[in-house]
Amino acid sequence: MEKLSWYFVIASMLWTAIATALYLVYALSGLRATRMRTAGMETTTSSLGFASGPRTAAIGSYASIVGWLATATLFFALLFRAIATGHGPFQNMYEFSLAFALGVLVSYMYFERKYHQRVLALIAMPVALVMMLYAWTIPSTIEPLVPALQNNLLLTVHVAVAIIAYGSFAIAFGAALLYSIQPEGGRWGLPKPQVLDEIGYRAVVVGYPFLTLTIILGAVWANTAWGTYWSWDPKETASLVTWLIYGAYLHARVVRGWRGQRAAWLLILGFAAVLFTYFGNLFFGGLHSYSGLQ
Amino acid sequence: MAHEVRTPPLQSATVAAGQSVVSPSLMDRVDAALEGLWHLLTSMRVAMVLMIVLAALCVIGSLVIQIPTGTGDDPLAKSQWLDGIRPRFGGWTTVMDALGLFDIFNSVVFRVLVAALTISLIACSVHRIPGALRTATKPRVDVGPGFFEHAPQREQIVVHGTAADTLATVRSVLKKRRYRVLAEDDGTIHLYGDRYRFMAFASLAGHISLVLILLGAIIGTSFGFKNQYFVVPEGSTVLTGTEDGLSLKLIDFTDSYNVTNGAPSDYTSQVVLLKNGQQVAAQTIRVNEPLSYDGATYYQRAFGPAVVMTIKDAAGKTVYSEGMPLDGSSTDGSNRSAGSLTLPGTGDLINVFATNGTSDTTIQPGQVQVILYAGGANTATDAKVFDQGKAQALGSYSVTFDREAKYTVLSISKDPGQLLVWLGALLLFGGFTLVFLLPQRRVWARISTRGAMSVLSVASLGRRDVALGTDFEDLITDIRAALQAPAPA
Ligand code: HEM
Repeated sequence: MEKLSWYFVIASMLWTAIATALYLVYALSGLRATRMRTAGMETTTSSLGFASGPRTAAIGSYASIVGWLATATLFFALLFRAIATGHGPFQNMYEFSLAFALGVLVSYMYFERKYHQRVLALIAMPVALVMMLYAWTIPSTIEPLVPALQNNLLLTVHVAVAIIAYGSFAIAFGAALLYSIQPEGGRWGLPKPQVLDEIGYRAVVVGYPFLTLTIILGAVWANTAWGTYWSWDPKETASLVTWLIYGAYLHARVVRGWRGQRAAWLLILGFAAVLFTYFGNLFFGGLHSYSGLQ
Repeated sequence: MAHEVRTPPLQSATVAAGQSVVSPSLMDRVDAALEGLWHLLTSMRVAMVLMIVLAALCVIGSLVIQIPTGTGDDPLAKSQWLDGIRPRFGGWTTVMDALGLFDIFNSVVFRVLVAALTISLIACSVHRIPGALRTATKPRVDVGPGFFEHAPQREQIVVHGTAADTLATVRSVLKKRRYRVLAEDDGTIHLYGDRYRFMAFASLAGHISLVLILLGAIIGTSFGFKNQYFVVPEGSTVLTGTEDGLSLKLIDFTDSYNVTNGAPSDYTSQVVLLKNGQQVAAQTIRVNEPLSYDGATYYQRAFGPAVVMTIKDAAGKTVYSEGMPLDGSSTDGSNRSAGSLTLPGTGDLINVFATNGTSDTTIQPGQVQVILYAGGANTATDAKVFDQGKAQALGSYSVTFDREAKYTVLSISKDPGQLLVWLGALLLFGGFTLVFLLPQRRVWARISTRGAMSVLSVASLGRRDVALGTDFEDLITDIRAALQAPAPA
C-alpha cells in the first residue's frame, strides 16, 4: 500500500504539472483573444471579464479534466497511505505536505466549478506542485505513532479541516495576487479586479470557519493530552496569528478605505502566516519540544 | 474625526458669575471625550488595527523562545534561565528581557491590547444590538428615493400593469424565496424583504464568544488548581492537593518502546485515587487518556527512575520504606540520577545516586550509592554503594536497597473556567459559520405609477459582494420572469 500510495503521488505530480501547462496555454490563448479584440476582431467575453479566443474554451476544459485527475490521484495516494499507516496524514511533514497539496487542489477545483475563473490555477496549481515536490525531498518512512499522537479520530479531523482552510486561503492568496498586479479596470484579459476581490472574500468565508475549527480541535487535543487547552506553543501562536489576520480582513472588506488593495494585502499577509504556521516546525524547531514527555 | 470638541454655548455675564464648581464647557468637553472614546471602541478600523498589532506581537512570541510558565515569577530561576539562553542572544539577552520579549504573553503591552480588544468587542456588541433588534422586528420599509440611485446593487424595471399587480408579483417572488415581506403605501408603494433576519444575532454571538473564552481563561488561572509536576513513585501514595484527604497511589508505571525504531509507543500509569484511604477511582492513565475525578483531571506527563529503600534506625524501627524518585541529577558533572530525602524527625539527610551507565566504575548498573548527612551536615557522615537486597549499616542506620522502580509525573489541573471556554468555542464556531452559511439578505423596492405603467425599483446593500452570481441577480431574474408571465386566467 505504501508503494502504491507513492506511485499515485508521482502520478498526481505529473497530472498537476500537465494541468499547470494547460492552464498556462489557456491563459495565453485568452491573452491573445484580448489582443485580437483590441485589434477589432471577433471574440467572446464571459460576463465576468475573461476574454476567450476560438480554442480557449476547449483548452480550458482539458485543463480542468487534468486538474480533476490530479486531485483524484492525490486523494487516492493519501487514502492508500492512510490504509498503510492506519491513521490520517498527521504524523510527519511528508504526509502533511501531501495533505496541504490536496487541500489546495480540492479548493481550486471547487472554486473553478463555482466561479469559472481558471486563471487562478496559474497560482493554485504551482503551489500544489511545490508542496508535492517538497514532500518528495523529505523522509516518508512510516513509523509507529508516539503516545501523544495516538488520538486518531481527533487528529485526523483536525488535519482534514486544517487543509481545507489552508487550501481556501491559497485560493484567496491567488486572487489577491492577481488583483494586486492589475491596475484599476483590469489588464491582460485577467478577471476584473472586482471579481477577484470577491473570490478572495468567498475563499476566506470558506476557510475562516475551518481555521477556527482547526484551532478549537487543536485546543481540545492539547487539553486531553497535556491538560492545557492553550499554552502559547509556537505552532498554536502562529495559527492564532493567521486567524487574527483573516479576522482583520473580514472587517477590512466592509470598512471604507480598507477595501480593495489593502484588503488584498491582508490576504497576501494571511497566506504568509499560513506558510509560517505550516513550516513553523522548521524555524521554531528545538525552541519548543512538541512532545510533552521528556 | 467626526467628533470635534463642541463650542460651549455663549453665556451672559450674570449667569456665568454665579457658577463656580463645574463650568458647562468642561462638562461638554468630558462629554465629547467620552463620545470620542465610544466612537473609537466601536470603530471597526480600530478593531482591525488592534488585531494586526496583536498578531505582530504573537509573531515575536512564536519566534523568540519564551520563558516557561512560572519561571518568570522566581528571580533565581529566571536568572538561571536567562543564563541558559545567553549563548544564543549574547549581549542582547538583557535588552530583550527588559523589553519583555521573552515573556510576551504576560507583558503589559500584550495585556493592554487584549483588554482593549475585549472592551471593544463588548462595546461593539452593545452598539450593534439595537440595530439588530430593529432589523429583526421593525425594519425601515421606506428608505427614500435616493437609495435606489446609489445602492451598490440596483435595478429598475418598467412594468405594464398597475402598481398593485406589480406589488403582488414581487411579493410572491420574494415569498417563494422565503423572504419576509413588508409593504407600505403612501401613494408610492414601499416594499422591504429580508431573509435570515436573525443572523445579526449569530454574528453577535460569534463576537461575544471571544469575551466568554477570555473570561473562562481568567477564571481558570485565578481560581483553578494546577500542579504541572506531581511526582509519584511506584508503590507510593501521595496527597494530590486538590481536596482534603484525596491521595493518589501509583501501582505501576510502564514505558513501552517500538522494537523497530526504539521510539516510545506507550506510557501507562496504573493508579488508584483514595479518599481518606477508601478507593474512589482507578484507571490506567495514558497520554491521551487522562483520569478525571471530581472536577480535577490527571494527565500523564513524564516519568523517571525510582528506588525502593528500607531504612531502619538504631533501635531496629523502620523509619522509611517507600519508593524514592530519582528526579534530580548529581551536581558534580557525573550526570547520575539522584534523589534526596530528610528522615522525618531527625534532620538527617539522605542522598541516593544511580549509575550513569555501564562505563560508571563507582556505581555499577544494579547498584545505588547512598550518602548520609547526619543532622543535615555539610560533609558526608557516611557513604556506601549498595547491591540490591543486602542491608548495610550507614551511620547509625541500617539501609536496604530493595529494588529499582519507576516514578511517574502527572499534571493535575482543576479548571473551573473550562466549561465557559468550550461554550465560547462552540458559539464562536457556530456563530460565524451560520453567518457565512446563511448570510442575511435584505432588499428594498419602490413601485410608483406612471400612467398605465408602473416603475419598479429594487435595490440591495450588498456590502460584501456585488460582482459574482449573487442572490440579487437571481432575484431580479425571477422577478422579471414573473412579471412577464401571462396572468393566470
Ligand atoms: C478578535 C476579534 C474579532 C474577531 C475574530 C471578529 C470576527 C468577525 C467575523 C468573522 C466577522 C464576519 C462575520 C459577520 O459578519 O459576523 C465579523 C464581522 C463584524 N465584526 Fe468582528 N471580529 C472581532 C472584533 C470586532 C470588533 C472589536 C468589532 C467592533 C469594532 C467588530 C465588528 C464587526 C462588525 C460590525 C461586523 C459585521 C461586518 C459586516 O457587515 O460584514 N468585530 N467579525
